[in-house]
Amino acid sequence: MSLSENKSVVFAYESSVHSTNVLLSLDDQRKQDILCDVTILVEDQRFRAHKAVLAACSSYFLSRIVGQVDADLIITLPEEVTLKGFSPLLQFAYTAKLVLNKDNVSEVCKCAEFLGVRNIEESCFQFLKFRFLDFKLDQQECPRKKCCTQRFQKANPKTGNVDNGDLEINYEVEALLEKEYSQIPDTKPCKDEENAKSSPVLQNNANQNCDLVHLERDSASSLSSQCPKYRKFQKAFGNDKVNTSESSSSIKDVQVPPFATSLEKEIPNNDGIQKAQECVPMQLISNCEETQVEMEEGQEGIQKKEESKRDSVTQNVSCPVEKMDLAAFPQNSAAPHGLNSVSILHSCEQYGNLNFSSMQNNTVLAEKTVSSTGAGNDKTESQGNPSSKVDLCIREATNITSAGDRSSVEREIAEQLAQGFWSDIHSTDACQIHLPPSKEYSEPSYSGKKSECPWLGIRITESPEPYPQRTFTTLNSVNCPFISNLSTEGCSNTSEINSGDYVQGQQQEQCPYNYVISLGEDSETDTEGDSESCSAREQECEVKLPFNAQRIISLSRNDFQSFLKMHKLTPEQLDCIHDIRRRSKNRIAAQRCRKRKLDCIQNLESEIEKLQNEKENLLKERNHILSTLGETKQNLTGLCQQVCKEAALSQEQIQILAKYSSSDCPLSFLFPKREQTAPSDSELVVPASVESANGLSGVTPTAEQSSCYQCVKSVCEATYEQVQELHPVPARALEQTSLLEPCGQSSGITDFCQQMTDKCTTDE
Amino acid sequence: MESAGKGSYVLANLAEVVERVLGFLPTKALLRAACVCRLWRECARRTLRTRQRIAWVSALEPGPAENHALVRALARELEKVHVLPQTVLYIADAETFSGHEECHEQKKARKRNSKETALALEKLLPKRCQVLGLVTPGIVVTPMGSSSNQPQEIEEGEAGFALLFPKIDGVKIHTFHFSKDVKNRIFDESKFAEAGLKNNPDLRVVLLFGYNSWKTGATRFLHQIVNPLNEKSIILAGGQVESFTSLTSENSHAQPGDACGVVGLAFSGPQIQSATVLLDQDVADERTAEAAMQRLKAANIPEHNTIGFMFACVGRGYRHYKTKRNMEADAFRKLFPSVPLFGFFGHGEIGCDRIVTGNFVLRECNDIKDDLLHGYTTVMTLIHLGSTKANQA
Repeated sequence: MSLSENKSVVFAYESSVHSTNVLLSLDDQRKQDILCDVTILVEDQRFRAHKAVLAACSSYFLSRIVGQVDADLIITLPEEVTLKGFSPLLQFAYTAKLVLNKDNVSEVCKCAEFLGVRNIEESCFQFLKFRFLDFKLDQQECPRKKCCTQRFQKANPKTGNVDNGDLEINYEVEALLEKEYSQIPDTKPCKDEENAKSSPVLQNNANQNCDLVHLERDSASSLSSQCPKYRKFQKAFGNDKVNTSESSSSIKDVQVPPFATSLEKEIPNNDGIQKAQECVPMQLISNCEETQVEMEEGQEGIQKKEESKRDSVTQNVSCPVEKMDLAAFPQNSAAPHGLNSVSILHSCEQYGNLNFSSMQNNTVLAEKTVSSTGAGNDKTESQGNPSSKVDLCIREATNITSAGDRSSVEREIAEQLAQGFWSDIHSTDACQIHLPPSKEYSEPSYSGKKSECPWLGIRITESPEPYPQRTFTTLNSVNCPFISNLSTEGCSNTSEINSGDYVQGQQQEQCPYNYVISLGEDSETDTEGDSESCSAREQECEVKLPFNAQRIISLSRNDFQSFLKMHKLTPEQLDCIHDIRRRSKNRIAAQRCRKRKLDCIQNLESEIEKLQNEKENLLKERNHILSTLGETKQNLTGLCQQVCKEAALSQEQIQILAKYSSSDCPLSFLFPKREQTAPSDSELVVPASVESANGLSGVTPTAEQSSCYQCVKSVCEATYEQVQELHPVPARALEQTSLLEPCGQSSGITDFCQQMTDKCTTDE
Repeated sequence: MESAGKGSYVLANLAEVVERVLGFLPTKALLRAACVCRLWRECARRTLRTRQRIAWVSALEPGPAENHALVRALARELEKVHVLPQTVLYIADAETFSGHEECHEQKKARKRNSKETALALEKLLPKRCQVLGLVTPGIVVTPMGSSSNQPQEIEEGEAGFALLFPKIDGVKIHTFHFSKDVKNRIFDESKFAEAGLKNNPDLRVVLLFGYNSWKTGATRFLHQIVNPLNEKSIILAGGQVESFTSLTSENSHAQPGDACGVVGLAFSGPQIQSATVLLDQDVADERTAEAAMQRLKAANIPEHNTIGFMFACVGRGYRHYKTKRNMEADAFRKLFPSVPLFGFFGHGEIGCDRIVTGNFVLRECNDIKDDLLHGYTTVMTLIHLGSTKANQA
């Protein structure tokens, strides 16, 4: 019976860590390439993995893998899946942990959707998208970070790809920022696959841009003046893009080396995968070159998209965006291509030209502008006018010759800069050396342009002047590792552009992180900001305001509103004012709160005082009662003596009487022996008994008591501080009257008060 | 006579009928009815068990001065509620909670009053129910009745609310209290385990409220509590309150006193889903506030049987939003039309951006230790307490 029962009992052992550990060891195997039976190709990168794991995690892989008998399968993923999106997903498959950041979230989301990865919920992507979007909005809002020129570039390719003219036509100068950002959410979801493909590179760009924003954020004079430029540029850019997609064929990489060695190279473009091999011109400022190379890379992405099915020729045209361009401008304007593109080209080149002056000051800035120039050129070129190509080449050739004499001067300047620039000393001398040339070059271009595109003229007038200052403030305030990196690369990688390019790409991936972190710290200090920093900021803002901050704060709400209406203020000034007002209000609120606490403490103190008074009154009363008691006792003793005398009691009789009477009874005092052996419990009465035993009247005891009384009275009248001073006196008096307890109490109170006062002081 | 006999027969024997009838009664009446006979008692017990929705009592309008509005509202509404509260979280505003008389003269009376108010509230509630009471400078409350009522931010004036959590299947709610021990510098980890904050794989959400935060060392102490919790995959939210007034789970009836400390609620249960977002200082207008709410919405937490919490800084509110009142609450309502919102304006906030559901956890993973204590921010939290059939009642 029992045996059969035992047989039927089944135990189940369940491990809660098994699944995790299996996954861990699989991940180890993957890392060491043990038992991996599949290779995945994503954008030329190979990933080794296990078929089983992939099939278990993704429906896409399941369908691709099942039925394949190949021992070592190679799966080439379609171009929808990007490297950036895939590698976190592969990691997720093996670790159940998905690492998402601002750059990769949208791509990971798309890839996850495409691959049908299980156990990833859409909501997390949504959440993060909002989070990062929010972040951007914050960026834009903050009045001090008003310039987001680089961000436009980021928005630029994306918006340009999806919906072009309509949105951009609506642009107003004021509403520009808002629109731009509102566009981002629109365009992001509806980005098509082509776009998806090109986006990583673009994002690379954007990263860089972010970083640049960061760099420039601190500079007092912002680049906001550039915003319209970018907008216009972008507009044209968008239009161009439409054209490009419609029209055909060849795209040129326009290189912008400082020296006018233009090299053309034709590269066969097969199946949309293009390996750009660049002929490297001699470089002085290699940094410039590098950004440009990156631009090329970005263009490759675009190219891929556009020419995926065509065999086309890509030309790398190096065109100097230097002073030499100036000479070219008249020619250009004379050129028969009176299209948008030409004017844009002009603007771009000129733009680069303008910025060249700043480039000398600040390579980072120059990089940005030059890269944008490059992009602009690319776009314009991609219009597909072979003739314009040729024209450009010709023009360049002329440029070279015409600028031949200048270039030596320029080399000098550039070299000087290359040496002095990266050193710690940012002397104004360096600035001054090349300031004149930059002005000089920009001005002719300005005059040349003016007739052609009026909006350009506006820009130019404002740009040359602020540049040197701006860039210098940037340099001095920001000590960015990025810059030094660039410089070192610039020295070493003059010939190997490709490798330098990769390195830079990596850096850019890191940079946004730094950016985010530093931003976070910034905001943290803001939140915890003590009054000092607060006031500093206010003062800073105050400088810009037509009235002082005190007024903003002191006005009532209605007055404040009308006051604001009265003055015509820019939005940022308004922001600043509101900020000041809010802060001050908060400060006032905090002060009030502190005051309340202090009031509370004060109340407590007064309460203590009151209680002390009360206590002293009670003590007084007690003493009074005691004294009356003593008097009564004396009377009683007197009476007793009288009675005893009258009755003429013998000693024995008294003794007997005392024995039966209570100890309080004054009769006992008549018996001296008893007094000796056992002192009565009330010391107060002892003197009386002694006196009475000696046959004296009770005058002295009362006197003594009254002195005691006076002591206590003085205590009553004393305030709290006096109590402290007088402490020894009442203590002694109280001791005399065997009132040790109140003494202890009073010292306790003083301690407490001290504690309270201490607290008050620390609170403040 | 005949029909009356039939009626009594039905009511004394047919459990289905009795249960249906009793189902219409509020809890207090139900408990009284349970005393009638054994059948009714069983029916009442069954009915009670199905009532697992959260109920709340809110007091918005000040009334006669002898009592806090919340006390009156609770006394009135407890007769009507359909749940048997097991855990109660009430929050009242600090100004009026401790009485109306001028605080300059009768400090003693005032203190007693605060305690008395707390006692009066606790008295109204069932004996075995855990009560956590807080007083804060301002209150965020959804008016009673429908959960889609417009939540109100009341930064000044008499207000309060009491959230009544019934016994919910699969959800455990603990209250806890850690106060700083002057003698014991190292925090006792075993207290964590007691409160269900340790070795509890089902722990999902912890609402933390620090008090006496102005004390020296209070922040450090709070860090001691928050940091180990932050390492877990749970939602942490809360803030610094003025003081806490009642906590009946402890027999000692600990009072805030001089020490600083932390009280809170720990929600554990596999079905709980929760998300929280942090609105930082830059969120200062309608658009950004709504963007933050959209983020919370994107977390895709189910909206039925869900409560929202909002812990804001006293420095925010209408002054922060350029004198637009009720901004954050309105933004919340706009995106969450049927989630009741509760919370307070306090002296500091605890929270971050995070999602915790049964299936996944989404959290920031920075190399630097992220700090959960903030100022000038608002923490918005959604807690979904599971979707059992009984909740539909």
